[in-house]
Amino acid sequence: MEPGGSSGVGSVNSGTYTPEIAESLRFEEEIQSLIDPSFDASSAAGGSFTALLGLPANQAVELLHHPGPGEPPASAASSSPIAGDLWRLRLVEQHAVTDTLRLPFGCSSTFPSDAALVERAARFSVFATDDSPASSSGGGLSPELKAEPPDSHSPPTLPVPAEKPRRPSKRKECEKSKAKAVAKKSKSAEENTSAAKPAAEENTSGDKLPYVHVRARRGQATDSHSLAERARREKINARMKLLQELVPGCSKITGTALVLDEIINHVQSLQRQVEFLSMKLAAVNPRIDFSGLDHILSAECGPLAMGSGCGGGASDPATWASETAASTGGIRRMPPPQQIWHLDLVHPQQSSTVWENNGAAHPHFLLSPATSLVGYDPASSVPLNSNQLKTEL
Amino acid sequence: MDNQDVRPLFSPESDHASLVERSRGIKMAAEVGLARSSRDRHWSRALRRRLLLLRRGTASDDCGCQNEALTSSKVGGDMGVGANEEEAVEVEARVRALQRLVPGGEELGTERLFEETADYIEALRVQVSAMRALACLLDELRERRG
Repeated sequence: MEPGGSSGVGSVNSGTYTPEIAESLRFEEEIQSLIDPSFDASSAAGGSFTALLGLPANQAVELLHHPGPGEPPASAASSSPIAGDLWRLRLVEQHAVTDTLRLPFGCSSTFPSDAALVERAARFSVFATDDSPASSSGGGLSPELKAEPPDSHSPPTLPVPAEKPRRPSKRKECEKSKAKAVAKKSKSAEENTSAAKPAAEENTSGDKLPYVHVRARRGQATDSHSLAERARREKINARMKLLQELVPGCSKITGTALVLDEIINHVQSLQRQVEFLSMKLAAVNPRIDFSGLDHILSAECGPLAMGSGCGGGASDPATWASETAASTGGIRRMPPPQQIWHLDLVHPQQSSTVWENNGAAHPHFLLSPATSLVGYDPASSVPLNSNQLKTEL
Repeated sequence: MDNQDVRPLFSPESDHASLVERSRGIKMAAEVGLARSSRDRHWSRALRRRLLLLRRGTASDDCGCQNEALTSSKVGGDMGVGANEEEAVEVEARVRALQRLVPGGEELGTERLFEETADYIEALRVQVSAMRALACLLDELRERRG
């Protein structure tokens, strides 16, 4: 194609050689020297655009031939200044040259005038020689294209129609891979299957089901089992996030196992704290004795809630007050009546304020723990003070 | 039981053995309170059952083991969210550990287990703060007395 191109340009040179074209030629020389260090600028002084640009002849022709809109493809322009320059050059050429340029390329049918293809060709021309493809889709395609320029450079004198059959196939490959790349990007797939179509279908089918709020990702089956499983996993993940928020310092941790570790540690530490505090309470107040719990525990199976008037108390009215305060937070304590005996006998002065209503009830406690507990059941027989600890039976 | 023992035992180190017993008793009381604080929770019911069995006899262990054996398969593979084999095994081991910690956890699947864990943690926190307040107050009162 070079001879044709050069002849075309030559005709332009001989005919309508405007200063703009000269400038653009020089510019292209520079560009070519940039692109191809081994390029000999001098040899291309009067040469064709194609030689200057270092493009494969067919693609350069395509560029020149493209009668399309005067805007450079946005991605190409943004991706590389060289590509933009190429486009500007092309525009300059378009404005400057007459249609005679196109005459040698009268076999226009052989040149696809697809704008997209030309776009890509322009990009590829830069990216093929440039090691860093600016656009990702172009990058995916540049390896393929890199194969092309060597192919077309080596037999530069091959007639264009001979190259044509190869080009469309390659271009189709480019298209396919580009489509795949775009699809991959847009769908943000985690898994990659060999079939693109079923994946697309799966995606839409995942969206169509109204009652499954799980998006079928590309490459994942959409049968009911896996959908249900995925829904379950989403629920489990949601619960786990809740737990993460609950446990301090857990939200920064990534990884299921580590988060679970933290949760387990937290629960264990809380349980240990309960143990430690119970030991401390036993030490602080030796009089506390919670050994009569079995009755209380058995009592909970039978009778209903006793109301606010019943219940045991802590060893001190002050602690009772704190206990009632704590009970609003949901904690109840079940000290046995033995404690009340201790309180009664050891600190009568303190207990009097609390037991003012229950002077008659105390002898019951003193006599028999069982009956006193039994006395819990019928509310009337043991009218304990209301400011005592609320308990539920 | 201790109705004869009415003298105040102000020195904690006087009876070390009973200290341990007493602390256990206190802890059990705390657990009863904890269990009652949130009635409608699975862990709460399981805890109450366990406490009851503990008081009545040592038969609780057998029942616990039974439950575990029946439902041990529930957790399998639940947490394989985008994880490879190793991670899934790790995660599963931790889920089992959590099951052992949370009362009644052995019977639950992973999702329910997490729910119960969240509520259990909340209740434990309240319990701990209540006990701490109690201990502080008792300390204070003791100081005032002595």
